[in-house]
Amino acid sequence: MVTRTVDLRSDTVSKPTEAMRAAMANAEVDDDVLGHDPSALRLETEMAKIMGKEAALFVPSGTMSNLISVLVHCNIRGSEVILGNKSHIHIYENGGISTIGGVHPRTVKNNEDGTMDIDLIEAAIRDPRGEIVYPTTRLICLENSQGSCGGRCLSVEYTDRVGELAKKHGLKLHIDGARIFNASVALGVPVSRLVQDADSVSVCLSKGLGAPVGSVIVGSKSFVAKARILRKTLGGGMRQVGVLCAAALVAVQENVSKLEDDHKKAKMLAEGLNQIKGLRVNVAAVETKIIYIDVVEGAAEKLCKNLEQHGILIMQESPISIRVVLHHQISTSDVQYTLSCFQQALTGAVKEDNGI
Amino acid sequence: MVARTVDLRSDTVTKPTEAMRAAMANAEVDDDVLSHDPSALRLETEMAKVTGKEAALFVPSGTMGNLVSVLVHCNIRGSEVILGNNCHIHIFENGGISTIGGVHPRTVKNNDDGTMDIDLIEAAIRDPRGEIVFPTTRLICLENTQANCGGRCLSAEYTDKVGELAKKHGLKLHIDGARIFNASIALGVPVHRLLQAADSASVCLSKGLGAPVGSVIVGSKSFIAKARILRKTLGGGMRQVGILCAADLVALHENVLKLEDDHKKAKMLAEGLNQIKGLRLNVAAVETNIIFFDIVEGAKITAEKLCKNLEHHGILVMQESPVRIRVVLHHQISESDVQYALSCFKQALSGRVQEENGN
Repeated sequence: MVTRTVDLRSDTVSKPTEAMRAAMANAEVDDDVLGHDPSALRLETEMAKIMGKEAALFVPSGTMSNLISVLVHCNIRGSEVILGNKSHIHIYENGGISTIGGVHPRTVKNNEDGTMDIDLIEAAIRDPRGEIVYPTTRLICLENSQGSCGGRCLSVEYTDRVGELAKKHGLKLHIDGARIFNASVALGVPVSRLVQDADSVSVCLSKGLGAPVGSVIVGSKSFVAKARILRKTLGGGMRQVGVLCAAALVAVQENVSKLEDDHKKAKMLAEGLNQIKGLRVNVAAVETKIIYIDVVEGAAEKLCKNLEQHGILIMQESPISIRVVLHHQISTSDVQYTLSCFQQALTGAVKEDNGI
Repeated sequence: MVARTVDLRSDTVTKPTEAMRAAMANAEVDDDVLSHDPSALRLETEMAKVTGKEAALFVPSGTMGNLVSVLVHCNIRGSEVILGNNCHIHIFENGGISTIGGVHPRTVKNNDDGTMDIDLIEAAIRDPRGEIVFPTTRLICLENTQANCGGRCLSAEYTDKVGELAKKHGLKLHIDGARIFNASIALGVPVHRLLQAADSASVCLSKGLGAPVGSVIVGSKSFIAKARILRKTLGGGMRQVGILCAADLVALHENVLKLEDDHKKAKMLAEGLNQIKGLRLNVAAVETNIIFFDIVEGAKITAEKLCKNLEHHGILVMQESPVRIRVVLHHQISESDVQYALSCFKQALSGRVQEENGN
């Protein structure tokens, strides 16, 4: 008997708003493969401007945006890319850069704050003198905000330093900016400044910004031209795609300002959860809207099931940890309700623990 | 000063209808990666039923439909697929099955009618005893209707014969059924019968059926389960995708019946074009909604010039070569559009032919 659902599994679950539905119904469209869909063009032009890059390309998913970016930068056989050992590309994209793209990954440890040590990145760059046995490093990938580390923000200064390192060694820099707008709002830095040194960036519209579908790749004109062909090759060339782009435009125009509220609610939820016996949250590490929660050993699965019965949907990460993600369709009252459900679920458990 | 546009470049150019726009605006949606989008599920269930297969999967494009299908059937390194030398997968999909999927193609000549000779297909199958130097044949692909051959229909009998050959050699059969509904209508044979011998098929909703975006892959449950993962890997895992699927459902329910009219208009246009001095085409070969025609030698106009001339009058066509042009009919081309197109063609060529006669 679930009276309400609070879906905290991801910020991808948001449903299209009325404004988006209206935009989709009225979208001006055309065949985006044979020509240019006008709504797609409008979105791509706007995104390029916002991100401070020459051009942009709409794609069906963040996975495709990263796959295309890595494959375009690493279009010569025998390439290697340096990326975080906890990065989304490495962990959650089916190893596509290798299985589909033939690119070799070289991971560097992600610190808790989402960064990788600069000297460790540099040490991972292959020495060309060893080329007879080495692949050739061509690309460094950063992720901002870093999802698996807890939605952590990479600062402008850090990103610039990695950019300098890349330039020094003749490498490209790609930023997986699925949640770059969250980083921008949390840091109080314009997105264009955050990605200034990047040769390419992938930006999700379907996560915190709430669009139903899609991501955008931004970069130079020549990069995006190659990306367009690879998008077609992978099967991402959609026809009257303006239907989706119209909704994405609404997302960009209306929902960036709501991200700050998501961060506030996340902080509120994190503080509340940390006070519940049986849970532990590093509240200081909650910079945007992702919260990782440690649960008393072995109890994570039970907790998830219990919460599901009260309509609270969350993501189990391991036997001892769970993840929640805030988004604009979670209200303050939903947050309170969630806290009370957690409290109830664990108070019961703690009572049992005390042998009552 | 273009008074009207008649876009005959492809059947992909159709704009969504009012019914589709309403369906998209009201679509019931959910995160199709974390769970199941209900509108996507509805479309996939219906498509599986219509095609007579166990399961279905929505994908952003026909290219991805074919790419996923080939790669799932040929998921072991060292695989080879037999397909027509003039097929869409081989000519118009960026060689993706190889550049992306590592699968080797072995082409067999497409006859004018879209078929490949059965004995030539059999001869192309690699002998396992030569495995030290051969890749391993795992898959045969057919295309129905065969686009480059002129939208030609493969009969159920022919398809069954290829299916038997595949079974005999332990191979899979995939049918690129981008325009399978056109074949079905033209032949008067249900889609599921046409696909009976196939292990998988890719079917476009965004072509003649007029949906804004998308194709559907159909096959066994286990095939589709693998296809879903590969779709995600390629980047085709969309979230609230039901928006698109809602439009596709409308396309499926409302536009299959209109295909017969497209075929009639194509025939009408073909007959009219064939009577224009300077053009030549095989009217009997126009079975569905695609027409290829050639500019006769001595007509003193190139295909390029003709296309440009037509464009001035709002007629958009696809140039295939210096002497060949393609037009494709769809439900948003009216009979009056066909007449207008014919008159523009006549005008463009009569001048040329007259010049030839020294006037």
